[in-house]
Amino acid sequence: MEYIRLQEKLPPKEYRSDIEPTWCPGCGDFGVVTALTKAFSEEKLDPTAITMTSGIGCSSRLPLWMNAFGVHTAHGRALPAAVGIRLAKPETPTIVTAGDGDIFSIGMEHFPHTARKNFDITLVVMDNRMYALTKNQTSPTSRHGYKGSLNPYGNIEDPFNVIKFAIASGATFVAQSYSGNPKHLAETIQAAVEHKGFAFVNVLSPCPTFNKIDTFKYYKGRLIDINKELGHDPSDMKAALELASHALDADFPELEDAEPFKGKRPIGIFYKVEKETFEERVANLQEKFRPESGEPDWDEILAKYRP
Amino acid sequence: MAFDLTVKYAGEGGEGVISAGDFTMRAASNLGYEVVTFKSFPAEIKGGYALSQVRMSDEKILSQGDGFDILVAFNGEAYEVNKPLLGKGKVLIWDGPEGGDFEPDLEELEKMGVFVYAVPMSKLAKEEVGAYITKNVIAMASVFELFGFPMEVLKQEIVKKFSKKGEDVVNLNFKAIEVAQNYIKEHIKKIDPYKVPGPLPKKDVIILEGNEAIALGAAVAGVKVFAAYPITPATTVGNYLSPIILKTGGFVYQSEDEISSMAVVIGASFAGAKAMTATSGPGISLMQELIGLASMTELPAVIVDVQRAGPSTGMPTKHEQADLFAAALGGHGDDQRVVIAPKNVEENFYLTIEAFNLAEKYQLPVIMLTDGSLSLRAEAIPTPNIKKIKENLIERPVIRKGEVKPEEIENLFRYAVTETGISPVFVPGESPKPYTATGLEHAENSRPRTTPDERVKMMNKRFKKIANIEEENPHLVEWDLGDLQEGDKADIAVVSWGLSASITQEAVKRLREKGYKIAALYPKLLYPVPKNALEKLASMADKILVPEASYLGHFARFIKMFTNIPQEKIVQFNIYRGEPFIPKEIEEKILELLGEKVSA
Repeated sequence: MEYIRLQEKLPPKEYRSDIEPTWCPGCGDFGVVTALTKAFSEEKLDPTAITMTSGIGCSSRLPLWMNAFGVHTAHGRALPAAVGIRLAKPETPTIVTAGDGDIFSIGMEHFPHTARKNFDITLVVMDNRMYALTKNQTSPTSRHGYKGSLNPYGNIEDPFNVIKFAIASGATFVAQSYSGNPKHLAETIQAAVEHKGFAFVNVLSPCPTFNKIDTFKYYKGRLIDINKELGHDPSDMKAALELASHALDADFPELEDAEPFKGKRPIGIFYKVEKETFEERVANLQEKFRPESGEPDWDEILAKYRP
Repeated sequence: MAFDLTVKYAGEGGEGVISAGDFTMRAASNLGYEVVTFKSFPAEIKGGYALSQVRMSDEKILSQGDGFDILVAFNGEAYEVNKPLLGKGKVLIWDGPEGGDFEPDLEELEKMGVFVYAVPMSKLAKEEVGAYITKNVIAMASVFELFGFPMEVLKQEIVKKFSKKGEDVVNLNFKAIEVAQNYIKEHIKKIDPYKVPGPLPKKDVIILEGNEAIALGAAVAGVKVFAAYPITPATTVGNYLSPIILKTGGFVYQSEDEISSMAVVIGASFAGAKAMTATSGPGISLMQELIGLASMTELPAVIVDVQRAGPSTGMPTKHEQADLFAAALGGHGDDQRVVIAPKNVEENFYLTIEAFNLAEKYQLPVIMLTDGSLSLRAEAIPTPNIKKIKENLIERPVIRKGEVKPEEIENLFRYAVTETGISPVFVPGESPKPYTATGLEHAENSRPRTTPDERVKMMNKRFKKIANIEEENPHLVEWDLGDLQEGDKADIAVVSWGLSASITQEAVKRLREKGYKIAALYPKLLYPVPKNALEKLASMADKILVPEASYLGHFARFIKMFTNIPQEKIVQFNIYRGEPFIPKEIEEKILELLGEKVSA
């Protein structure tokens, strides 16, 4: 299913709506908006034929800042809403933008299913490792010990390894990037949009207002590019899973010197494979059953019900 | 007197009771008779008490009827359950005198005036046919032989159903028919008066089960995305639709849960497709938040709730109509929904199409309430004119590229306030101007907005859409006045919806034949409550009876809530035993209210 595209590139700013983001100054999510507009421009996408969905939370407001079609759904429901769009209008590229709480907590039952079915959806999670819009609660990706308003004594849970989970779920493109690295982010998001199939990009995206631990300052010098620096080949699933299992090592001081990341956080494309998409399989079925005339033969359909 | 005969097969689930009813129904329809079936079985896959009842008549059948004329008891449990219903003039065919698991009290039955025939169904199937599985064919063939159905018709049905499985299977069933015929001829002397009068002129009909009618209606209405999660008794809507929808370029999507189903429907509708889901009570509970989203974003959506007995898991295969509150008012905040309900299989078909038309016209979620008994009820309905239906379908007002001048686009708003409240629709890939549909309160231009003025303006706009829905859709209220004119004085008024309405209709017909003046109303539109029609009805009688299969009586309470009818006029009649009403109990209730002595 080919996307609707423009003949000529539009400048990235043409993909912004005239609504000013309500985000706090210094929010990591601004970087994601910029990266998305660049990727859309590079891909020559038509603003009137881009579909976006999101859930609830700071980052889920993102579609409102874009010059594209969007549904700002209920908490956690961005992915199944995107599935509905994929089934109805596969010629519009579909991008889901949401937060870690939205996708990995309240919307969690949708993530592995949408991934394993390989819908052609780009999922960009802005992972600030906590809930910000409700004023600082722990999310599934929060660090152990993180102090949220419901657990001021510190998080007693360990963080959830979303990269490993995404690969295990059957996502056909799994990457991590960082909102403080515009070039890497734009390239990664563009690669995800280009990918035919379920593409998940986890964006480390600091919340300057509440999360005083996972800050821009913290990430500085603590990132490692798995493709460029470690030479990781994303087509190697075994290697991808092995790397992914260490994705959260940097949270734990005792793993400061542990291989392969030595206290750093990995960014880059962990896994990528070409696989038939759900939409392609639906189209094949429809093709098989499509009546020659284009219109179904209702007399024939009704005949089945005659006594 | 019209010919009106009801045959009931009862026994253990898995013994072919249901298919015996199905074959008999098809045969009767083939002979040109009107048919209505009633089936009930347990939630488990095998075992438990199951029944399948076929009512046939040379006149239009309104309901499943009061009971049976002929009972075929496959086992002792079936006999015990139905024993209280046996009486003068009824026929019992039982699995005996040997080979079965029970022995009826023959002397007592004879005293009661029951016509009893012993047919050793199990024994004949095992010993003469050599296959126990043919027990239900023996039962059917006995009914055919005893009551004058042409055996050829049964044979035709068997060929239709089993020819795919091979000649051996067909021949085995034919052998069972022969064994049954021979047994009846040699051992049974007919003593009862029942006989099928003979074939009638063939009618142009199709036979549909309730959920089949919904699936077919949806396909004709042009549904492109059907998303659902398996749940009894709604699953079969998707089963039936799945092969048809592919021929129309659509798809039946099995989602990971009901929340997801509703979100898929919203996404598909946003993308311009007609989309629907079908579920039952537990699913409706899960979908509430997203039904509110469809309402807030003004996206058409069709939700079928095949009600079952609740609350919680309740009785999944049993009848109830207690989801009306949830359907109409189950969401948070003041949202706009339309709730409709069909009363029989034919209306299941047409009202599903209507559901899409209403959703497209008013741009909101439309919930259609049916129920488990209606989902399984089969009826022969006049073959629909698909071409004509398709010509009259309503589509949302999509603004397409090239249809508006570039300078007009600027001032074109997705949620523009209009005279009717209905705004132009933008669809990705088709419309010139993108927008984001948001569950946040928003302005005409779809931007989030929470100022008091804007809030009031947009809330009023959304409610304006459905303010006149009753007047705009008079066909969604069915009057049944008999010889009365609107406004005449009636002995009593009756309001009934869903399957109960079809049963009420039969009770009303019987009482009219006895000379009573009854004004009845069967609303298909339940919410917004059709206030005008109800108040008009109330003016015709001192009392309004509202029979409903729920403890609380949701619609009766809606009448009290949303109309100016004096509360004391409304008489609730509620059952919640997991079975539908029978016409007789509504008839008796009306007589009781009229102060008449109920005849024994």
